[in-house]
Amino acid sequence: MQETIQKDSLIGKRITKLDAPEKAGGKTRYIQDLDLQGQLYGKILRSSRVHAKIKSIDTSAAKALSGVHAVITAADVPWQRPIGVAKDHFPLKTDRVRSLRDEIAAVAAESEAIAEAALKLIKVEYEDLPILTDPNDSLKPGAPLIHPEPHGASAKHDHLKQAQGIAYAGKPDNIAMTFDYQQGDVAAGERESDVVFEDTFHLHYVTHCCMGVSGIIAEFDSSGNLLMYSNTQVPFLHKREFAEILNMDPARIRIIQPPIGGGFGSKLDIYPFEPITVFLAKASGRPVKLVFTREEEFLASPTRQPVILTLRSGCKKDGTLTFRTVNTLHDNGAYTSWGATTPFVMMQTISSLYRVPHCLYHTRAVYTNNPYAGSFRGYGNLQATFAVEQHMDMMAEAVGMDPLAFRLKNAQDPGEVTPQGMHFKSCGLKECLTTAAEASGFLAKSKTNAAERGKPGRFKRGIGIASMLHVGGGAKIYPSDGCGTILKMDDFGSVTLITGASEIGQGSETVLAQLVCEELGLPMSAVRVVNNDTEITPWDVGVHASRTTFIAGNSAIGAAKKARGKILAAAGKMADLNPDDLDLRGSHIVETRSGKVVMTLAKLLRQLHFSDKAELVMTSFYYEPPSKHQDKHFKGDVSAAYAWATQVVEVEVDTDTGIVRLLKVTGAHDVGRILNRLGLEGQIEGGIVMGQGYALTEELMVENGVVRNPGFRDYKLITAPEVPEMDVRFIETMDGEGPQGAKGVGEAPAICIAAAAANAIENATGVRIMALPFTPEKVYRALHAAKEKEKAAA
Amino acid sequence: MTALDNYVAPTSLEQAVEQLQELGEVTILAGGTDLMPQANAGRVKFKRTLMNIRRIPELHGISREGDEIRIGALTTVAEMMVHPLVREHLPLLASTGDHFASGQIRNAATLGGNICNASPAGDTLVPLMVLGASVELASKPDDALFRRSMPLPEFFVGPGKTRLAPAELLTAVRIPIPPKGFVARFHKFGTRPALDISAISIGVSGVLKGGTLSQVRVAFGAVAPTPVCGCATEEALEGRKLDAATIAAAAKVAQDEVHPISDVRASAWYRKEMIHNMTKRILEDVSANH
Amino acid sequence: MSQQTIDFTLNGVPTRVSVPVQMSALEMIRNVAGLTGTKYGCGEGECGACTIILDGVSLNSCLLFAVECDGRQVTTIEGLASDPVGLRIEKAFVEAGAVQCGFCTPGMVMQARQLLEQNPHPSREEIQRGIEGNLCRCTGYVKIVDAIESASKE
Repeated sequence: MQETIQKDSLIGKRITKLDAPEKAGGKTRYIQDLDLQGQLYGKILRSSRVHAKIKSIDTSAAKALSGVHAVITAADVPWQRPIGVAKDHFPLKTDRVRSLRDEIAAVAAESEAIAEAALKLIKVEYEDLPILTDPNDSLKPGAPLIHPEPHGASAKHDHLKQAQGIAYAGKPDNIAMTFDYQQGDVAAGERESDVVFEDTFHLHYVTHCCMGVSGIIAEFDSSGNLLMYSNTQVPFLHKREFAEILNMDPARIRIIQPPIGGGFGSKLDIYPFEPITVFLAKASGRPVKLVFTREEEFLASPTRQPVILTLRSGCKKDGTLTFRTVNTLHDNGAYTSWGATTPFVMMQTISSLYRVPHCLYHTRAVYTNNPYAGSFRGYGNLQATFAVEQHMDMMAEAVGMDPLAFRLKNAQDPGEVTPQGMHFKSCGLKECLTTAAEASGFLAKSKTNAAERGKPGRFKRGIGIASMLHVGGGAKIYPSDGCGTILKMDDFGSVTLITGASEIGQGSETVLAQLVCEELGLPMSAVRVVNNDTEITPWDVGVHASRTTFIAGNSAIGAAKKARGKILAAAGKMADLNPDDLDLRGSHIVETRSGKVVMTLAKLLRQLHFSDKAELVMTSFYYEPPSKHQDKHFKGDVSAAYAWATQVVEVEVDTDTGIVRLLKVTGAHDVGRILNRLGLEGQIEGGIVMGQGYALTEELMVENGVVRNPGFRDYKLITAPEVPEMDVRFIETMDGEGPQGAKGVGEAPAICIAAAAANAIENATGVRIMALPFTPEKVYRALHAAKEKEKAAA
Repeated sequence: MTALDNYVAPTSLEQAVEQLQELGEVTILAGGTDLMPQANAGRVKFKRTLMNIRRIPELHGISREGDEIRIGALTTVAEMMVHPLVREHLPLLASTGDHFASGQIRNAATLGGNICNASPAGDTLVPLMVLGASVELASKPDDALFRRSMPLPEFFVGPGKTRLAPAELLTAVRIPIPPKGFVARFHKFGTRPALDISAISIGVSGVLKGGTLSQVRVAFGAVAPTPVCGCATEEALEGRKLDAATIAAAAKVAQDEVHPISDVRASAWYRKEMIHNMTKRILEDVSANH
Repeated sequence: MSQQTIDFTLNGVPTRVSVPVQMSALEMIRNVAGLTGTKYGCGEGECGACTIILDGVSLNSCLLFAVECDGRQVTTIEGLASDPVGLRIEKAFVEAGAVQCGFCTPGMVMQARQLLEQNPHPSREEIQRGIEGNLCRCTGYVKIVDAIESASKE
């Protein structure tokens, strides 16, 4: 036995992911790999019209096909209830279809091939209705109404809608949801301004492209209890929502989460294929498995929210920001999902990214017959930052300040409370700006590139800077933003950590284990995490808003601290020492100051267990962050912490083709504290490349309601050879509330790449492009138009 | 989904063409890299018989025959790229392979398949055209094996359509060994090094002597229903000194002579602009480096 | 629909299955042979999640007809368990942090296996080109390239 053990912290180390070995060996069973005994295969018949009345559906031939166990339409589930954020969405469409993905019928059969053959036998008669594909058209007087009838569902758990009186289906227009916010007095702000810019920015459709396609397995047991294998990111919310949709007692619904092939926010809402699969399971009396094809994934999944954003920004000639006025048009698509609520996040950037006294903000989400948007990493912040950070550069130039100085002048300091009520207890914005600028040589390169612009030469270099602000400690939109943990220790010194927080590939499971091991002085090999069964795990609101490390982390630490207290108290008693002088290290109990070993942890646990007291070490803790719900004016300290990042992007523009190559990204991220360095780097690198795709190559082309490129051939994800050089720095602002001082970072790295790229292209070419993506043709056209304008002026 | 109910895997060319005569409606399986996705997407319907031709020895191999290089139809892009004869005499094909799809697809895609698939954007087609390639075809209409050949440009009829007769098999591609002073370039437009269906592609070749280009071949991809000869551009270059004026004029001719469509990948206007700019760049590159 | 019986070696084990003619090798591997490590990502050869090794070369199994496996040697991710170089690559992926959701990982590992077979000491650029047919949405590829580079150095 060792004599002494010194403190050896896990914080900041490179910790390998707990599930990585299984994944690397191909042993992990994702939902697509799971099969239940006796299962049937589900397939959905989707509309072949963009907007039409359903006159009739004939399923007789499909039902007669050998191997088909159930064919259902809305008529077979008259008790179905609408789903989604605004409850305007029936899983199986009743009298009309409003977009090309609309679900009309579904089949459960003995094989996928039979199910697909059965779909082809279903005959549908349509009567076409006029199509709306431009949200501007949806607002014109006399425009056809997408949701003329109310769906009559209750929304008692939806905080947002109660606060806002959101437009429901049944209103006499196509407005799905609006948000209004103001701080200060923009009229006064205008008067104080020496420089004002107003521009309209166009943000486009992209889609999640998780490498694992959507899937679900639903099974009823003999007592009518429902088991769903689901890739939901919000298992407890879904449990409750499914209970409502299915009119079941929530206690009879269980959700098990198999390992997920990517989330990125795509699994935050309930989508029709899920209740439809439950209907099929009910109708057939068998487990039903439904998995999308990749084409279906492109056609039927929620997208990122497209936005037409008009921004009017002002500043004084000394560079002080005065006001921002924003008006948006959000294409809501045919049904309302989380995309309609992105204005809630966008307004935080509009109101508080850099210090702005006056702000007026009005958004409208408008129904069309296009695909609908859901939540997607960044949740509207990419769109808002794209606009805000371009105006920052424009205003800087107008008042004769360099882009860095202009931003630093308006950057907040720790302790500031914004007019929206966000309390920046820890704030690393200034450090992020200076770190990224210095590390990249931003100022010098910016000047050199600008000087080279007019000279002949095919390739032009550009450098651009942009920052972002995002919640880093959850977002209190639901009645609770908390997470529960149960922790148990066995007789050998191993821990089982049972957490409500889901692992979606981002490494949450590993970082939670790390925090617990840090508290209990254990190696990573001593922890098992259970996180995927609503029957076992305590409640957590879900994986979104970059909240998991912060909130689930604090929850896990809370439970671990209780265990630690119990262990050290018992050890103190047994060894006749003061528990305050004891520590846990390397699976031992030691004297803190000297490191002298008192006993092994395992021995203590066994003595506790097999003594007269017969105690096990089992603890639990529910952590609710000290954030507040915003009031009905959207003011309040909505998160327990806020996170910043600055990214400097270097590009090369080929003026002969318009091809923009991303050469380098220098990032400085305020992460509070580095926990798992390996996991953190992975999130940043992945986020940067996702941002790169959004800025340069990805575009879901929707024309007249039709997705023209539902496949990887023409929907361009970034591939390995296209990845830029990356230099990522971490700023540790040690947030007081965060676990070990850490803040959330999952969404941050994707958020400001497009904005920085826009600024970089302007630096390279003198041309500012306010619509995404920066595809070769779009950039070439912009350069060409600028040249033509110059010639005409000459 | 398909009427496919028969499968054959002949082990000799004679056997294959005999079976083609007998069976009538046959879908040929070579590398399968286009067949499977097209069948799954419903763009191609399987015929009653699937004929797997991969076990036919005569369709494999690369050899020198006199003043030609013969590349068997089943040569994969990966094999083609590294073969010593290709690297020595036809370096354009080696570099073309490097920009073809991905490593996995190069290992499966065959030259014959790429040609018979006759996509207007097919990666190997434009380079083969400017190398003066011809296709070797075989059938057995009566008792004897019947072979014929055809210059590649004539072989293409429309997207996915060739002059391959119903019971005929493409057996090889023949390419004359380039003469001294031969230069050739192939440029495929894209943002990635490889995995891209190009919006446009350009091939140029000729004999450069004393700064003058002759025996010029120009071909364009993705600007017409098939890969096409840039005949007017060839005329604008033939026998002329490859200087700035000639290059500028040829680029303009190229832009004017193509009539591309607008689709998800690019608009017609942009395609024409790229044909202009890239033709200019290719010719400038030839002029600068020889 | 016509069924064909094929005999081939699957991860070193002589195997006989009966498959419909139009079945892809991917479907055969997953649904007939029951090996789920090889993934369906897109079904059209654009993402590489289905990469296997056939007679020593890597291919997209979604594009390969199952009948073409007749008489051949097929290796899937499961088969690397007995391959020292394969195991080295897997370990490098774990240690470099190259695994997040893990869905692309089997395809990446298989392609890396083939890459190192052809080019035992690739440069970073060669590695990036080598995996250009494998899509990843989580990692940004950086640590995947790190992992392959690290595996090549041992």
